[in-house]
Amino acid sequence: MDFFVQQLVNGVTLGSVYALIALGYSMVYGILKLLNFAHGEVYMIGAFIGYFVLTALGGASSPMLPVAPLLILMFLAAMLGAGLLGVVIERFAYRPLRNAPRIAPLISAIGVSFFLQASALLLFSAQFRTYSTPELIPFSTGIEAGPLRISLVRILVITSAVFLMIALTLLVNRTRLGKAMRAVSYDREAAAMMGIDVDRVIVATFFIGSVLAGAAGVMVGLVFERVFHFMGFVAGLKGFTAAVIGGIGNIPGAMLGGLVIGLAEAFTASYISSRFQNLIVFGILITVMLVRPTGLLGSPVLKKV
Amino acid sequence: MRKSRIWLVLALLVAALAVVAAGCGGDDDDTTEPAAEDTTAMDDDGTMEPVECTASIGIMGPFTGDVAAIGQEQLNWAKFAVDQYNTEHGTSFTLVEGDTQLDPAQAATVAPQFVSNSDIVAVIGPAGSQEIEAVGSIYGDASMAFVSPSATATNLTEDFDTFFRVVPTDADQGPTDAAYMAEELGAMNVLIIDDQSSYSTGLADSTTAALEDAGATVTRESVSQDQTDFSGLVSTVADDTDVVFLPWQVAANAQLFGNQLAEQGKDAVIFGSDGLFSPDDFSIAGSYVSSFAPDITGIDDAAIQELVTAFEAEYGDFGTFGPPTFAATTVVMEAATAICEGGEEPTREAMVEGIAATNLSESILGQPISFTDIGDIQDATFFIFQVQDDGSYQLVQ
Repeated sequence: MDFFVQQLVNGVTLGSVYALIALGYSMVYGILKLLNFAHGEVYMIGAFIGYFVLTALGGASSPMLPVAPLLILMFLAAMLGAGLLGVVIERFAYRPLRNAPRIAPLISAIGVSFFLQASALLLFSAQFRTYSTPELIPFSTGIEAGPLRISLVRILVITSAVFLMIALTLLVNRTRLGKAMRAVSYDREAAAMMGIDVDRVIVATFFIGSVLAGAAGVMVGLVFERVFHFMGFVAGLKGFTAAVIGGIGNIPGAMLGGLVIGLAEAFTASYISSRFQNLIVFGILITVMLVRPTGLLGSPVLKKV
Repeated sequence: MRKSRIWLVLALLVAALAVVAAGCGGDDDDTTEPAAEDTTAMDDDGTMEPVECTASIGIMGPFTGDVAAIGQEQLNWAKFAVDQYNTEHGTSFTLVEGDTQLDPAQAATVAPQFVSNSDIVAVIGPAGSQEIEAVGSIYGDASMAFVSPSATATNLTEDFDTFFRVVPTDADQGPTDAAYMAEELGAMNVLIIDDQSSYSTGLADSTTAALEDAGATVTRESVSQDQTDFSGLVSTVADDTDVVFLPWQVAANAQLFGNQLAEQGKDAVIFGSDGLFSPDDFSIAGSYVSSFAPDITGIDDAAIQELVTAFEAEYGDFGTFGPPTFAATTVVMEAATAICEGGEEPTREAMVEGIAATNLSESILGQPISFTDIGDIQDATFFIFQVQDDGSYQLVQ
């Protein structure tokens, strides 16, 4: 039982990160029907910002601030930086192509992804950076019950992710901006005719999605410690997979998809074998696409007859 | 008035160019004369004569990417070798760089570029065994010799005629590591996790066989180099596991694995292969790492220590991937110089023969260098280091 709970925690930790990345994909797709392949790189930049803030404030071994305010500062800086990057990407890479054929912004997204990877490589070099989290938050802090060990870092990551997802849900369902976002995702032209500033809504969507990716970057830095220029590629792929499994364009679907992938990876590694992790995850993707093409929570596409 | 201004400007330009040319010419004179004096001094000592020999040497390595620390160290030592050799011998060798990021697909792009560059007579690298498998036949078809300073998969020299290496093979590393684990560490239960590269699976297989011969129980697992989380796998590590053997290429992955091992309260000791030898990326105290090269700072040889001092002054600290690169580059340059001394131009075919006939009585690795008939270095061995509490590596065997 303890072993099962341990894997559950591992899976939920991983799933939380994937969910945060998937949310960015889903939100942008919902509004613009665009797959923002640069989203993984926004997550990577968020991780780097968190690392640089940590280093500037003394590093994990001798921080200038207590742990809690230090972490909050890292998260805020990464989220703000990633959010602004998302807005800049939308303004220069996607908005000019708003009325172009769908393939154009897709190619642009891929180009932005490579551009950001190469820029990170040039600016930060290829060296792995590490958050050195055990020096900041020792492994011994957390829950220990017999063989079951849940470190404080994982608890923090899970609770932060849940908090962000709740905040996003409230924003989308209970605020005027959220209502405008939902309206634009249903019908952009009708929303414009109703007086909604579509450009402003799109910018807000990119900002919020990128903020979540930035937060995910810092979480990954804290739990898995390594930050490097190529980390966005695999994470972006998994996040995209999660979004598709949950139903691309569907916010609760993105959360569910992330959780499904995280748990699938954790349980595969522990009960079967690590070598089958990717096989199982993409097998789930294919199965869902065959059985329910719109994703687990996606709505069927209506065909006008 | 306009015409006269144009003439004035032109005259000033010509004058400026003349001054620059005179200055540069003066500098050239200044730099060549001391060099000539230096080599003349060497002539008087009877040690070395200046040799006119011009050639390009390609170098392939992971200069960027997951193991850029290793690639940069290899590149710096190769540059250092070329500079030192050119200064000492009066030769004119140049390096042509090709970044592979340890990726066979990229290596297979760089290799044809090198082949089509007629100035390149031989290649240093690539670093990874899987890359050599990708480029071996490309270089073989072009009769281009390539000398790796770090690829240890056993079959490579058998499969590729123009391939040489200055490091021992996994046929030695596996048994050496297994013997240490079984005899020195008393390991009876060993978990071996490969990273799905050909280097890793080959080494895992040879180590498994040697451990089982020694009476240990071996469990096998596998991860991919892209994996970001090992918690699931770590939680399956049995409590009675004595050693976890990681024949991985990405040292940072091993650091994460080690941290997660500690996070989940597992006591197993990590033993890494030469791919983990990276003090910047892997510093789990109490772990062991094997290496195909000694720590040359500990070799009692004045000439070697002079090189160490000169290198550190120019490039800073280094690990164990650099000196074999220096050795490999020296092998190539010595072969080219021997051809030039015979009055010939170094051609690729001549370089293959020349490198195969290498017989250096001493080298930066503290041992002579010559090759077997298939291209393996003779009489090399593996060394074992332990990671200390401060993250430094100490030789234990």
